[in-house]
Amino acid sequence: MSEPANPVSPEGPGGTMDHLDEITCLLYAERQLDRARAQAVSAHAQDCAACRTLLKALERESRLLTRAMLEADEPLPARLAEFQERARKSHQWISGLIFGLAATGVYALYTNFVEPWQTRLSEAGFGGTSLLSLLVFQGAFWKGWQSVITLLEVLAMLTVAGFGLVIFRRRLRRGSALALVLAGLCAALALPSPAGATEFRKGTTVEVRQDETIKGDIYLSGERIRIEGTVEGDVFVAGKDIDIDGHVTGDVISGCQAMRVRGRVDGNVRAAGNNGIISGSVGRGVTWFGDSVTVDTTGKVGETVSMFGGNLAVDGQVGRDILFFGHEVGVNGAVLGSIWERGDSLIIASTGQVGGRIQFKGDHEASVSSGAKLASPVEFTQRERKSEYSTGHYYIWRIIWTAAFILLGLVLFLLLPKFASESVAAGERVGAPIGLGVLVFFGVPIAALLACVTVVGIPLGLLTLGLWFFAINCAELVVGTVVGNWIFGRTTDVWGQIGRMAAGFVLVRIVYTPIAPLHVIGILVGLGIWMWGIGAISLALYKRLQPKVTGSSMGVPVAAAS
Amino acid sequence: MSVPGMTETTEAVARARAGDADAWGELYRDFAPAIFRFCRRALPTREDAEDATMEIFMKLRDKLSQYDETRSFSAWLYRVAANHCWDILRRRKIRQDKETEDVEDVPLEHPDPSQLDKLIEQKTSEEVRHALQKLGARARMALVLRYYSDMSYDEIADALGVRRAFVGVVLLRARHELRQALEGKSALAAGGTS
Repeated sequence: MSEPANPVSPEGPGGTMDHLDEITCLLYAERQLDRARAQAVSAHAQDCAACRTLLKALERESRLLTRAMLEADEPLPARLAEFQERARKSHQWISGLIFGLAATGVYALYTNFVEPWQTRLSEAGFGGTSLLSLLVFQGAFWKGWQSVITLLEVLAMLTVAGFGLVIFRRRLRRGSALALVLAGLCAALALPSPAGATEFRKGTTVEVRQDETIKGDIYLSGERIRIEGTVEGDVFVAGKDIDIDGHVTGDVISGCQAMRVRGRVDGNVRAAGNNGIISGSVGRGVTWFGDSVTVDTTGKVGETVSMFGGNLAVDGQVGRDILFFGHEVGVNGAVLGSIWERGDSLIIASTGQVGGRIQFKGDHEASVSSGAKLASPVEFTQRERKSEYSTGHYYIWRIIWTAAFILLGLVLFLLLPKFASESVAAGERVGAPIGLGVLVFFGVPIAALLACVTVVGIPLGLLTLGLWFFAINCAELVVGTVVGNWIFGRTTDVWGQIGRMAAGFVLVRIVYTPIAPLHVIGILVGLGIWMWGIGAISLALYKRLQPKVTGSSMGVPVAAAS
Repeated sequence: MSVPGMTETTEAVARARAGDADAWGELYRDFAPAIFRFCRRALPTREDAEDATMEIFMKLRDKLSQYDETRSFSAWLYRVAANHCWDILRRRKIRQDKETEDVEDVPLEHPDPSQLDKLIEQKTSEEVRHALQKLGARARMALVLRYYSDMSYDEIADALGVRRAFVGVVLLRARHELRQALEGKSALAAGGTS
């Protein structure tokens, strides 16, 4: 189709022509006709009411179109209003990342080359085995800033503080509610509530004397802490050596190097630390993150012992089950419930007694003495490391899990279509989400664990860990959808997005499955996918948390449509 | 082409070309709302428009060296935006183009002048915007380039990749599609997809 050679009727204006055609009228109205033809149209329009009406209608239509287009009917989205700011912030993230990596490098140097320092610390009684325990659970940390802060501690803490500032800077600067919440939190931590019975004690040596009865919770911090009296509430304690010889009616929450429970705790013991010895009684359960726990011959735990890391020795009695991830479990006493272990070894001595099932997944068969009293034989599963990749079973499960993940993706797309789209859109920018993903992947669990050891942060820390874990599971779906979009093009239709998610996810799995067994490469690719996806989700979440802009005073173009 | 509503910030452009981050901020603050609105009119969804706006400004960093300072910056910026949006639409619509290209040859019915006048009289800006979203990609883009960006026929021909003589026809077809959409008749609107 092409523009007519002669827009005016062949008979010409002033002749017996009918009417001007519409394209001629439009070109005339838009001043696109040459002078001669424009004059001819003008002359005709003066004589022809119908064509005059059409010309006027077209001009009105032009004005209506211009007005409709130029009207500021919706504000600039917050996402765009903050775009420039975010671009600037992305540099901050990079700086933070570099700083974090620098701190990690220093740590690597420390652990590999600064042996004399470690030895001396160990000889001095600060024999930690990890950065976290060095930083948080060692007595050195609590002694005071002037004498024992190492370069590593400074770097690590500055990194954490830097991340915190980057995250909260906007809110702090704007004096928003979050700043108030933080201030309130600090106040809550720093000041005892006058209405409650909560008590705070700190010092080099802190005691609850034998003749003392504390009514309510107590917070204790110091190098050496001893509870000989009675606490009618919970005990929150951080220090190097902790002895509980008295009676605690509530829970004991602790971060420590060593803790001995010789007295009685009616509630739970939850701790992160190097060594724990229970020779008294714990009414409920024990949860321990650290090197070793011993339930002594006189010790008694009423409920379940859950332990993550190191060795667990049960010489006394555990009222219910043992849940264990770590190196070794030794049972010389009685476990009235079951044992579920994923570790290196399980040793049950002749004096050992287990009342429930024993499920052990490890490297070697459990060592069970002939005199041991077991309700059922040990169910041992050889821990398979890399060999699983060579079995058909592995691939069948990969297919089943792929289907399950696609189902999860489908549910998420239907439940949260907008957020899902935003996450995918964020993922399409690749670089930024991966950078952020590195931080979130490593930073969030560290922050959550730190929150867990700061008394009031346990629910927040656990919730954060839960969300982090869920986000990791969704990460591959986001990456799959991005890949699907690359192949099939983007769409706004939900089912179209679901289709792309499924196709992309399957493709990612097909590509990744043969790579997975390739040791370092497999791990790196897997981590890359996780970080990409989790970074995209984090970016989308971050955008959601941005304040909405209510209006725009910025200039608009004014079209001069004829 | 002139866009008198947009402040010409020659100095900011010069500083931005020299790598001044604050100048970039100024340009963004001055032009982002208008470019977003342009994208909003040209592209099917709000999300598309947001993405495109950001992409245009990211692209601008690379392209700014090509800008001729003797000409209008805003006009040049609209050219960049138009090309970007048209690329997006073209990539998405290529399949539909093949299916509907015959529609371009369907002759247009001559409108009844008085009925057209009445239709335009009755419709509001909001209704027009709503109807605009129902148009085919090329029709919508042509109207946006002409009536939002105030591009000349030569510039529209260049942006859409059509002959200059064909621009009037494209605009006329677009108007017909729009009228159909305003009257609630979607058949022609759908058929007119470019």
